[in-house]
Amino acid sequence: MTKNEKRVTSNVIEQFRPLFEPKTVAVVGASTEGAALPNIFIRRIREFGYNGAIYPIHPAAKEIDGLPAYRSLGETPEPVDYAYIAIAAAQVPPLLEEARGRVRFAQVISSGFGEVDEGRELQLALVAAARTGGMRLIGPNCLGLHTPRGRVTFTETGPVEAGPVGVVSQSGGLGTDIIRRGLTRGLGFSGLVTVGNCADIGANDLLEFYLADAQTRVIGLYLETAGDGRRLFEILRGARAGKPVVILKGGRTRQGRAAAASHTGSLAGDDRAWVALSKQTGCVMADTLDGFIDALLAFQALAPQPRHPTRRVVLFGNGGGASVLATDQLSRIGLDVDTFERQTVDDLARLKLPPGTSITNPVDAPVGTLQQEDGRVAEKILEVIYGSGRPDALVMHLNLSAFVGRTRDEVLDNLVQAALRVQARFPGQAHFLLVLRSDGEPALEERKRVFRARAVALGIPVYDEIANAGQALAALAFHERFVQSRNR
Amino acid sequence: MEGDGGGGMTTPAELIAQARAAKRAALDELAGKRLLAGFGVSVPRSRVVQDAGAAAAACRELKPPLVLKIMSPDLLHKSDAGGVKVGLGSAAEVEDAVRAMMKQPAIESARIDGFLLEEMAPVGVEVVVGGLRDPQFGPLVMAGLGGVFVEVLADVAFRICPVTRLDAEEMLDELKGAALLRGARGRRPVSREAIVDVLLKVGGESGLLMTHGADIAEADINPLIVSERGAVAVDARFVLTQ
Repeated sequence: MTKNEKRVTSNVIEQFRPLFEPKTVAVVGASTEGAALPNIFIRRIREFGYNGAIYPIHPAAKEIDGLPAYRSLGETPEPVDYAYIAIAAAQVPPLLEEARGRVRFAQVISSGFGEVDEGRELQLALVAAARTGGMRLIGPNCLGLHTPRGRVTFTETGPVEAGPVGVVSQSGGLGTDIIRRGLTRGLGFSGLVTVGNCADIGANDLLEFYLADAQTRVIGLYLETAGDGRRLFEILRGARAGKPVVILKGGRTRQGRAAAASHTGSLAGDDRAWVALSKQTGCVMADTLDGFIDALLAFQALAPQPRHPTRRVVLFGNGGGASVLATDQLSRIGLDVDTFERQTVDDLARLKLPPGTSITNPVDAPVGTLQQEDGRVAEKILEVIYGSGRPDALVMHLNLSAFVGRTRDEVLDNLVQAALRVQARFPGQAHFLLVLRSDGEPALEERKRVFRARAVALGIPVYDEIANAGQALAALAFHERFVQSRNR
Repeated sequence: MEGDGGGGMTTPAELIAQARAAKRAALDELAGKRLLAGFGVSVPRSRVVQDAGAAAAACRELKPPLVLKIMSPDLLHKSDAGGVKVGLGSAAEVEDAVRAMMKQPAIESARIDGFLLEEMAPVGVEVVVGGLRDPQFGPLVMAGLGGVFVEVLADVAFRICPVTRLDAEEMLDELKGAALLRGARGRRPVSREAIVDVLLKVGGESGLLMTHGADIAEADINPLIVSERGAVAVDARFVLTQ
């Protein structure tokens, strides 16, 4: 990093610190009855562990939710780091104008601005008011932010730890989905900001923050417009894929674009530019919300190996048909499930595994095999595979319904522990992903949930189907190949 | 193979300014080629002539075989109007071609700027290099293989400008018809280096699109004929931004 780059980095960190770690929060729109969205916001951040000052702003009330209320943003005891604003659109500009330079960031949740024709002028007035009031503006037409380091969140999450994934979402509702589904899957967030219409601060500004932020290792963007596509390109190109970036872009098809135009009120870019962006900067384009979360999870858990980009995948688990189908699917997306070489097959044969166990890739091992020695037989199999099969990735897939009533609970744990021990003996060789397949039966789902949580706690990325794990590996492989090609 | 065409030293900015002053939506072929030549892209040697006699005289300065093309702001598709004649081997053939062309119905009724007499490019693979202005990302550069590959199969690769050498090489690798460049079906391989070079001159750091992207809505070098030794822009079209 040059001296100049260091200066820019520390500037952007300092600029956004009050947003991600606010010491004072103003809430506009809370009612004395305690039922409005801003009242819920106050409750949520308290539950989330926020213990800085909270200043409700209200034209008449003395007190809201047990907190002293203030007439305007300019009259709070201390300057405001972050203001959460959910009142009628027309009332927002006058409110911002009264801030007298005492608010750092105002997030306007209210809608009725640039996303609808009749709100275009009001959005211009909003931007002008934010400038007069001396603050930076986030939104309007969004839902809030989630910042574990600042103990502020707009969504119901329960206690969560901070993690390495920084997200910007142009849609509020999808931001909620990303947090809630992501948390269930084991994602940990360094931050998630919903930016709505991006009247002032846009995805590019927050991308620059996440690139500079030491807590963030992986970045996810849900975009409906590029805003300033050229700046996005320049930021990503300058970052040289130092941190993996996954982009979920809404409106890449003609029909999707019509929906996006009515949603965010601006013209979506052409798909070919996004394909080019990905190829030139190494960012991964995801097609679906699940694909987005799957890829973020892989990047969170697995260290990219640009010196040997992922290609050779070993499938190991119970479910012959499932692994045959997965072999086809993986090869369609550029991964190989090659059969083993003679040496590996011979070594596996020497283990004298029970009949029905395939000793080439994909390695189909029925429950009868997997439960031998309470699951520890997997260690011997994987030892051979890692030793001579040289995989870039191992996908262990367990069809849980086949285990029901036949094995002790420790077997699943032992299988995973066996894999982790072999992983430790071959550091940096193969990415390890776990697929837990279920049939949707409630008791089995519950068992899967508990087991998933245990695996996630060990830092293992867990997927519902081999196809999802395959897509995530393809994303990882794309990133690895890009980094390799740019560092030759 | 630098062009001359009787235009002297006109800078790229002047070429665009002249077209705008003439209220043209696009640069004509000659201006387009001069623009390319200004960025170091090879174009055929040529002369602009006004009649059959001048065409015959100009043949002395050019090396046959030659191609004769009508120059008219009214004729978007020159070949359809009978305004292109290839493979002319002598001054007499050129003279006859000019006379025949003037009698074509579509040409008789059009405004005529003159005739472009050009040396024909050596035999090679037809490649298309294009450009367009994306409303969000700015100039993009495109590469594809000519003929059915680009027209029917849309076998093209886009990149955001400026492209690096590696970007340009990856664009060619990405084409489904990439094998043709490597010499498929018993042909000799053509110069990839020459195509990469044109992509950089058009879409690179200080290339045409980065320099004049604000003026150029669409660009088409179609075909760029690539042989073992080099690449020549045989036709060029630049549509100006509104």
